Amino acid sequence: MRLNPLLPLLSLLTLTAASPQTTTITLRIAPSHALLPNPNALAPATHATLSSLHKAKSAPLTVANTFVFGNVSAGSYLVDVHCATHAFAPLRIDVVPSEIEADGRLRVQAWETYRGNDWDNKGEAVPVGEAGLEVRVVGGKGYFMERSKFSVLSILKNPMILLGLVSMGIFLGMPYLVDNMDPEMKAEWEERQKTNPMNSIMGATTGGSGVGNFDVAGFLAGSSKKDEAGSGSGSGSGSGAVASSGKGESRKKR
Amino acid sequence: MLPPQLSTLFLLALPSAVRAVFQDEVGHIDYHYELLGLPQRETTFFHRPRRDDKASLLYTLSDVGVLGAVNPSNGAIMWRQKLNGSTTNCGGFTRAGEDESWIASALGQSVHAWDAVTGRNKFWMDFAGEVKDLEIMELTESERKDLLALSDEDGTTVLRRLNGNDGSVVWEFREATKDIPLQASTNVGKVFVISLHGTAAAYNLKVSVLDTLTGKRLDELVIGTKGEVHSADDVMFVGANSASPIVAWTDDTRQKLRVNVLGTKSRQEFSLPTGTVSVEIHAPHLVQSDPHFLVHSRTATGNRADVYHVDPKTNTITKAYDLPLLSGPGAFSTTSNGANVYFTRITDDEIILLSSESHGVLSRWPLNTGSSPASAVHGVSEVVKKTGADTSYAVRTAAVTNTDDWVLVRNGAIAWARPEGMTGAVAATFAEIPESEDLVKSLEQEAHSNPLEAYIHRVNRHLNDLQYLPAYLNSIPSRLMSSVLGTEVSSKTGKLTRDGFGFHKLVILATRRGMLYGLDAGNSGKVLWGRRTVNLPQGSNWNVTGIQVHESTGQVTVLGSNGDYAVVKPDTGNVVDVAAPGPGRVTESTALVDTESGQRLISFGPDGEIGELPSNWTPKQTVVVRGSGEELKGVVFTANGTTSRGSTSWTFSLPQDQRVVSIATRPSHDPIASIGRVLGDRTVKYKYLNPNIIVVVAADDNASAFTAYLLDTVSGQVLSASKYEGVDTGKPIECAVAENWFVCTFFGQYTLRDNLAQSLKGYQVAISDLYESDEANDRGPLGDSDQYSSLDPIDTPTGVALPSVVTQTYILNTPLSALQVTQTRQGITSRHVLAYLPESHGIASIPRMFLEPRRPVGRDPTPAEMEEGLMRYHPNIEIDPKSIITHERDVIGVEKIITSPTIVESTSLVFAYGIDVFGTRVAPSFLFDILGKGFNKVTLVGTVVAITGGVLVLRPMVRKKQINALWTAPM
Repeated sequence: MRLNPLLPLLSLLTLTAASPQTTTITLRIAPSHALLPNPNALAPATHATLSSLHKAKSAPLTVANTFVFGNVSAGSYLVDVHCATHAFAPLRIDVVPSEIEADGRLRVQAWETYRGNDWDNKGEAVPVGEAGLEVRVVGGKGYFMERSKFSVLSILKNPMILLGLVSMGIFLGMPYLVDNMDPEMKAEWEERQKTNPMNSIMGATTGGSGVGNFDVAGFLAGSSKKDEAGSGSGSGSGSGAVASSGKGESRKKR
Repeated sequence: MLPPQLSTLFLLALPSAVRAVFQDEVGHIDYHYELLGLPQRETTFFHRPRRDDKASLLYTLSDVGVLGAVNPSNGAIMWRQKLNGSTTNCGGFTRAGEDESWIASALGQSVHAWDAVTGRNKFWMDFAGEVKDLEIMELTESERKDLLALSDEDGTTVLRRLNGNDGSVVWEFREATKDIPLQASTNVGKVFVISLHGTAAAYNLKVSVLDTLTGKRLDELVIGTKGEVHSADDVMFVGANSASPIVAWTDDTRQKLRVNVLGTKSRQEFSLPTGTVSVEIHAPHLVQSDPHFLVHSRTATGNRADVYHVDPKTNTITKAYDLPLLSGPGAFSTTSNGANVYFTRITDDEIILLSSESHGVLSRWPLNTGSSPASAVHGVSEVVKKTGADTSYAVRTAAVTNTDDWVLVRNGAIAWARPEGMTGAVAATFAEIPESEDLVKSLEQEAHSNPLEAYIHRVNRHLNDLQYLPAYLNSIPSRLMSSVLGTEVSSKTGKLTRDGFGFHKLVILATRRGMLYGLDAGNSGKVLWGRRTVNLPQGSNWNVTGIQVHESTGQVTVLGSNGDYAVVKPDTGNVVDVAAPGPGRVTESTALVDTESGQRLISFGPDGEIGELPSNWTPKQTVVVRGSGEELKGVVFTANGTTSRGSTSWTFSLPQDQRVVSIATRPSHDPIASIGRVLGDRTVKYKYLNPNIIVVVAADDNASAFTAYLLDTVSGQVLSASKYEGVDTGKPIECAVAENWFVCTFFGQYTLRDNLAQSLKGYQVAISDLYESDEANDRGPLGDSDQYSSLDPIDTPTGVALPSVVTQTYILNTPLSALQVTQTRQGITSRHVLAYLPESHGIASIPRMFLEPRRPVGRDPTPAEMEEGLMRYHPNIEIDPKSIITHERDVIGVEKIITSPTIVESTSLVFAYGIDVFGTRVAPSFLFDILGKGFNKVTLVGTVVAITGGVLVLRPMVRKKQINALWTAPM
């Protein structure tokens, strides 16, 4: 107990005596950041490195979320924080050889640095305070790729499918609409259809012939002409499936 | 220059082409052994990290320099820290203060204090000399507990007392006497520094007694040893921190044990049993424990123990009791609970708990080691005394076995076992699962008989095979189900069989401790067998110089450096042939060469000297060996009768000041799918594809530079040399070669040659492409000729056909090491560069496409270049997390990565070893030839079923409608 007041002084003395040309650099992770709300959850393997030509130092993450480098000699260092879960911005730290701070240590300056750019292209200066200088979180690291999941909704969201569904709806719903029309209106509408130049291209009328008359369900069910001819069911059959010239003709057959 | 924000955006856009790991593939395609290394006797202990919590953790500093905490109930790693940059070979110290929430460790020059629960650092200090001992001062003048660090600073013994809260130095004791510091020790009132004093022939023990408060010397005692102590290793034990610390040593013949209680001048002698080979002393480390100690003496066949008590008042030592001689080496561990001291004796078939007070056995449990017999080498124990109606004890012991496993035995039953022996791996190779021997035999028989007999034999064999048909048919439904549901098909018979994709291979791993392991790469890296193949003398490492799988027999040959070798079967580990290390021949290196009798591993002595080889071992290639000093030699072998001799064909001497740091050769399996690269304008740049190239990286420490020489191994011709200046030669420089390109990685700090105003600093990777000519559609001086010889330079004014080299350098965000290139069966799949990230503890798989040297610099790529897939050059490559094949796993200490092709072209097997063991498979150009897990078979089958169902339902409806339509009267 008697010794306690002496201790800090003693330690300071030994430090300065043993290492006249060095300093201590403390890096600090912000206690709370939007990208890293709880730095206490960082893995213990997180560490920071100081590197320069023929110099390398590594410091583990401390309980107080700092990295402490002792006995750093003068030079210009690249600082990287290596963490499994988060990425940190690299820093440039200069330990100025000629300038000595009040506590007998060398002066430290820090800037953000940009990899792949000129080393002297310094970014914003990072303030070096009592509690060290702060390292900036850039973001979390995502190691995994999302697997595209099979989902009916995602298929339905596809515009091509949507287009198809709408046109199918019109295609199937039109005959009912036409059936429900007034006879007069229907006649009028059919008249208009005949004069429509599109019809010549489409080659189809309300009842549907040609392409429009193609019976998808029937085809899937296997009721092709050949099939039915073989089974001999009904005369003049298959008109639904194979008729190519329109309703009128099939009516004549009967 | 791009603004920084923009460059980050650009980089984020790059990785879309990277093949990342899917979350559901974790543990399915990859496996990882999170290891610590083999725990050392003095640095392993149970400790309660929280004062008011009963639960304790198991801490160890292993022989590879990893400090870690293990949950004793399930053997899971709580945290671990690699204390040194490189893998160490034993040594180091760990201590924990009683009831403290931190533990301290020392390795090399640093002292660390760690939070015992989280593994976070509390403080760390680097000192000038190597730390020789670390102790905890349990009792100080203040509340906290302090550290004592003893270090040897070039002949000066330095003892520092470090503040346990922040690591600051409280006091320092220096003594420049050229003594060898041994250990620091403390009892309640004093600090002792024990060092060896005198000359190497006859050391005496010097004990300096220091004041705990100031570190001032109070007294100095010299204890004569009568020339029995020759080195620090001869002093067996220096009791630390107990109420009466002791120092003990034996005479040369191990007949007498001499013990001194620290602080006194006298020494006492005790006789050891006859035939004692080694002696260990076990004593409690707590001040409040009874000062009792146990002497464990091993003879050639058995072991016994004697327990001694120290009287703290009179400093006299008396023998309390002895334990009987039992066969086997045996192991003891000490546990102290308050004042009580327990000794746990671990024999091959029993665990016996004893009190230090008397010889009565407190409890004993039969030891059930299961199928694999193993005996404990050393261990630590935790004893729980259950007081109640009848006092009972529970003991859990973590023991290191002679098969390099770390097992926890709870009351005689094995709770868990960790294969810590797989750390310190020095060599590994992939091996095919051997085909059934019977089949091989019958096929051979068929080949050697006349066609009719062979046909009858074959038909008979097939008829015989019919007996397996019902079993096969039986297995179809379950295989179908597992295939649809995506579950693993487990082989019921437990037999190793190859699979259709070639993923099912074995990995043979050799460790420096003389163990060989067989891992099943197709079955989550399961350890199939572990076998101690060579018995090494104490303290030496198995220096494996070569490992080879024999093509036809499937056997694995492992060559050591002292004429030792082992031939094992890869599936069972059964030793076919083995030779112990001998003093005679020294093997420096080995080379795998093609000979008349297939591939052979031939070994070279120092300076690349090779003796005579049998003529059918004559290598067909020129063999490149390291000569004396910094030179390489090309050796050509010529058969002469029954033997063949090598003669030096060329010598490549490095300039003065340069030393070889790395040599890379093309992988033995490096098929070329295309001899040229089709450019955007449909012209072709032809690759320089020389099978005989190596890259030699030579560093010049004084000039801070390295030169990468590309050599032709047939002629020794330097094909290209590129010098990189401003390179830190102290940091690793590595390179890898494949196809027509090579990569080198290094730390560089230099001013740009084309812009002297700019300088760079950081880890970099340089890639060089080799082409036949600078021009497209030009095959260079060789033209289309079918043959060429490196030794007969063609008739051109330029002489030798030199490749056209295109080089580009990229700056990286992290250093790389253990470079390797993926291998696939045909080489059609694009290649990835695999590299271990020593700082991020992962393995990155970097597409060659990113490291393309032809990326346009300073301009956007033209449409033709874009068609080629070239992106604009940006000096920075950020290793994208998605390209890390180890994803979230923390893989430490990888020394080497090996790759192997599979039957399917898309996939390459990867295996990394060093400290941790990691394996996976990578598909650099995506899985284009097999259905991955992402292919949803359930959906496919479901869709087919749904459509079938729909058709079946609709069919009668449609038919009915059609008939109705036909029968309705026309309107």
